[in-house]
Amino acid sequence: MSLPASSSVAEQLAAFERELATAGSLRDAQAVRDRFLGRKNSVVASWMQMIASAPVDQKKLIGRYANELKQQIEARWTAYAEAAEANARPAGAVDVTLPGRVPRLGRRHPLTVVRDRMEGIFTRMGFAIVEGPEIEDEWHCFDALNMPAEHPARDMQDTLYLGAPVRGESGRPDDRRTMLRTHTSSIQIRYMQAHTPPIRIVAPGRVYRRDDLDLTHTPMFTQMEGLVVDEGISLADLKGTLLAFARDMFSERARVRFRPSFFPYTEPSAEVDISCWQCDGRGCAMCKQTGWVEIGGCGMVHPAVFEAVGIDAERYTGFAFGVGIERVAILRHQVQDIRLFFENDLRFLEQFPY
Amino acid sequence: MKLLLSWVWDFVDIDVPARAIADTMALRGFEVASVEDLGGGDAVIDFEVTANRPDCLSVIGLAREIATAYDLPMRELDALPNALASVHLGASADVAVTIEDAELCPRYAAAVADLVPVSTPAWMSTRLQASGVRPISAFVDITNYVLLELGHPMHAFDLDTLAQRQIRVRRATAGESITTLDGAARTLDPEMLVIADTARPQAVAGVMGGAASEVSATTTRIAFESAYFKPASVRRTSKRLGLKTEASSRFERGADVNAPVVALRRAIALMQQIGAGVLRGPAVDVYPAPRSPLTLHLRRDRLARVLGLRVPDADVRRILTSLRLGATDTADGWDVVVPTFRVDLLREVDLIEEVGRHYGFDKLDDAFPEMRQAAALPDARIARDQLVRRVLASTGLSEAVTFGFIERRAAEGFVAAEASESIVAVANPLSAKFDVLRPSLLPGLLDAVAHNRRHGRRDVALYEIGARFSHASGETRGVALAWTGSVAEHWSTPARMADFFDAKGAVELLCSALGVTATFEPIREPFLVPGQAARVTTGGRTIGVIGQVSPALVERAGAPRQDAVVVAELDLDAVDAARQGAVESVKPLPRYPFVVRDLSIVVSDALPAEIIRGTIQTAGHGQPAPLVAVTFFDRYQGKGVPEGSISLSLRLTFQAPDRTLTDPEVQTSFDQILTALVREHAAVQR
Repeated sequence: MSLPASSSVAEQLAAFERELATAGSLRDAQAVRDRFLGRKNSVVASWMQMIASAPVDQKKLIGRYANELKQQIEARWTAYAEAAEANARPAGAVDVTLPGRVPRLGRRHPLTVVRDRMEGIFTRMGFAIVEGPEIEDEWHCFDALNMPAEHPARDMQDTLYLGAPVRGESGRPDDRRTMLRTHTSSIQIRYMQAHTPPIRIVAPGRVYRRDDLDLTHTPMFTQMEGLVVDEGISLADLKGTLLAFARDMFSERARVRFRPSFFPYTEPSAEVDISCWQCDGRGCAMCKQTGWVEIGGCGMVHPAVFEAVGIDAERYTGFAFGVGIERVAILRHQVQDIRLFFENDLRFLEQFPY
Repeated sequence: MKLLLSWVWDFVDIDVPARAIADTMALRGFEVASVEDLGGGDAVIDFEVTANRPDCLSVIGLAREIATAYDLPMRELDALPNALASVHLGASADVAVTIEDAELCPRYAAAVADLVPVSTPAWMSTRLQASGVRPISAFVDITNYVLLELGHPMHAFDLDTLAQRQIRVRRATAGESITTLDGAARTLDPEMLVIADTARPQAVAGVMGGAASEVSATTTRIAFESAYFKPASVRRTSKRLGLKTEASSRFERGADVNAPVVALRRAIALMQQIGAGVLRGPAVDVYPAPRSPLTLHLRRDRLARVLGLRVPDADVRRILTSLRLGATDTADGWDVVVPTFRVDLLREVDLIEEVGRHYGFDKLDDAFPEMRQAAALPDARIARDQLVRRVLASTGLSEAVTFGFIERRAAEGFVAAEASESIVAVANPLSAKFDVLRPSLLPGLLDAVAHNRRHGRRDVALYEIGARFSHASGETRGVALAWTGSVAEHWSTPARMADFFDAKGAVELLCSALGVTATFEPIREPFLVPGQAARVTTGGRTIGVIGQVSPALVERAGAPRQDAVVVAELDLDAVDAARQGAVESVKPLPRYPFVVRDLSIVVSDALPAEIIRGTIQTAGHGQPAPLVAVTFFDRYQGKGVPEGSISLSLRLTFQAPDRTLTDPEVQTSFDQILTALVREHAAVQR
């Protein structure tokens, strides 16, 4: 074995470093340390032994090299061991990547999500939320809404009738419910009978029509209808109200368009279009290249409706509108098949927010 | 209504592409289903005409709207050369017309002609075909042409088939029958109006002609009918016969009482033009009580107030005049004479709509209704239902929405046999699957569970809030839940399947959130597994039910029979009635420490825990150490416990509001409780 030279300390340190780097565990690393620092057969020990047999002029030098190497390796080992300790898995360590105990939180139905959102918007605009019975009498559902018997408009909504009348919640013998409501306008009639203007309400709820179940129709769906009655209410007020709704619900840049239409209970009547929020009105698949999306119907309350509920049709004017909640949900979430809302498939329901 | 654009050109000189016209008219109240380009600038625009505008089920009606929209002059029929034949009105030697019911038929006009066999000219059949009407024969084609152009339905009889050449407009007699043009034999009733001769009905008025008097190849002489029938009567007849025709759909919405003679003159002019026949003698016009047109007053201020828009007077006048509404200026607005073809204009507001829609709704400002008072209180059920949703979501249940109608068999499965007559039937259901209103939310919810199970979902937890219906209770609102599969699954612990106590826990949480003290007692229900069913009551009133659904019903719904599906249903209206005031004054926090003592006893396993709790509370109520809480923390059955017994471990908490309890005080109370348990339930302390 040749005697250590001046470059030997650096070479051995580099070798120590190399071997340490390949050590797979603390035990391997300790073996490496022992090969360099151990009492027997280590590099430092062999250098120490060389001192005895070395020429006199070299003894002192070799002694210095051996000490230098020993100190440096010890210093390096101390640093290594500290780092290893810091990195070691503490007792009782858990695998933090395993799933946590997530409390199960159920979802609101998408129709509730949309309804809650719409109720929030209208509440902010001063509307009270009002509900009413799903089984109705023909007076509240048709007659009071300017659709007397034999009126052709009764054909527009194919009605589901009950086999035998059911008594209403008032318990009065003449309070007999004979049909499933075809719209929540019947709630508005009940509200106007019980309250005097100013009136500002939205009436959400399930409604029933004799429609077969397909991609776009269900025999039961959900509506939200609004009604405002006061002195001086105008069609322009209606447009501004629906615009405020559209900007909150769909897009800050939304515009509203009225297309004249016909409903027996409003005059003038209009279909409500909102500028398409996907393309901002430029034309896309959602709006079928028209730039507009229909979301409901509206109009000024027909004076005959006011007369039916005993509101002075000369003094008061009012507006009403109706929006399908499924329609809004379909548009907002690109639901392809309306039946999904009623199948209650959790794979569908769980895609909506809590 | 399929509108051939080149037909419109007879009345309006409009040089605008069909698609642009369609877009414009869609904003004037005429929705467009399709536009079919025919080349050469011509096209067919299919308009969806609303039920209030029968006048626009015609070329002239739509031409008038287009002329108004584009502010163009309109040539009415009487301004077109030779469009209307000049006829004498008077008695006819060939036919006698009698109206026996002037209420149902206010006007009946007729004319007789000798037929000349010709075929329909190409221009006429082209127009008919483009409008979706199949050409048949010259005479039928003429009546169809008039129908499309003027919107007035006409009919033609083979005159020689009419007994004594008489036309009698009368109600059918009971049991009378007629074979209509479609070959069907139809039984009539006295609510129906017929056109009869002296022997039998020859047509159902305004609906369809009879086969016996149909114009055929051998017909030589015909009688044209051009009448006005009462809309409600035609509607009722058409509905009762299940027979809807082009004629009935126009009459039931309201024809023009002044159209019969004009239509007749138009038909005769067309007949003469194509050489299809020769008019015989004067035309008949029976019109016993001529109607005068309606005059409405339109106020300028009211117009502005309803629309929220001030329309310049000149525009009001232009729009009204263009729609042939005769407007005369008055101090505060206009007097407007409504032509009889506008059956939809009955009051001032109808005129406001006419002005508004043609002036343009796009000119409306975006205003907002002024609030003069605070918003009204919302329906209390809304906040309650939201609370129910929050509570149930926190137990891991997701919200379902199922149909309000279900299959009778499914409904009957979930009500007691004696309650099945209380199920509300639908008179005209879509199908047998939807033939009754749900008496309970559970059948629909179970179907939803089964749907998820069939689609590979093991764990299903659903609830629904909704209306239930019965003849006994009317409409009530309930909440129901259904649970199957594992709950709170985690890798650290073995899975536990949902059972009775998950459903009960959700109900207890809900009752606590709603401020209702619920008690539970075992019941037997046919739809629940025996021994796994409870009634929920509060203050002696039943408010709901909890249990495991019987395997037979689970299987019938389409889920595996071995699935344990636990359910609960609460009557929210009944819960509301029992709710205690939400906010009570806060109790001061206890100032003295509590003492806990555990107690293990062995009792009969048939003894309900609620009874043991009652005994303990009664015995611990008094002195010296007041008992403030009892909880069950273990229930053990098996080794070391005799057969038919259970070991129950209870934790008793004692606390006094005014002092620190001493050990002897607690011991005395504890002993009192134990003594009571031994005395009343033969309990043995372990």
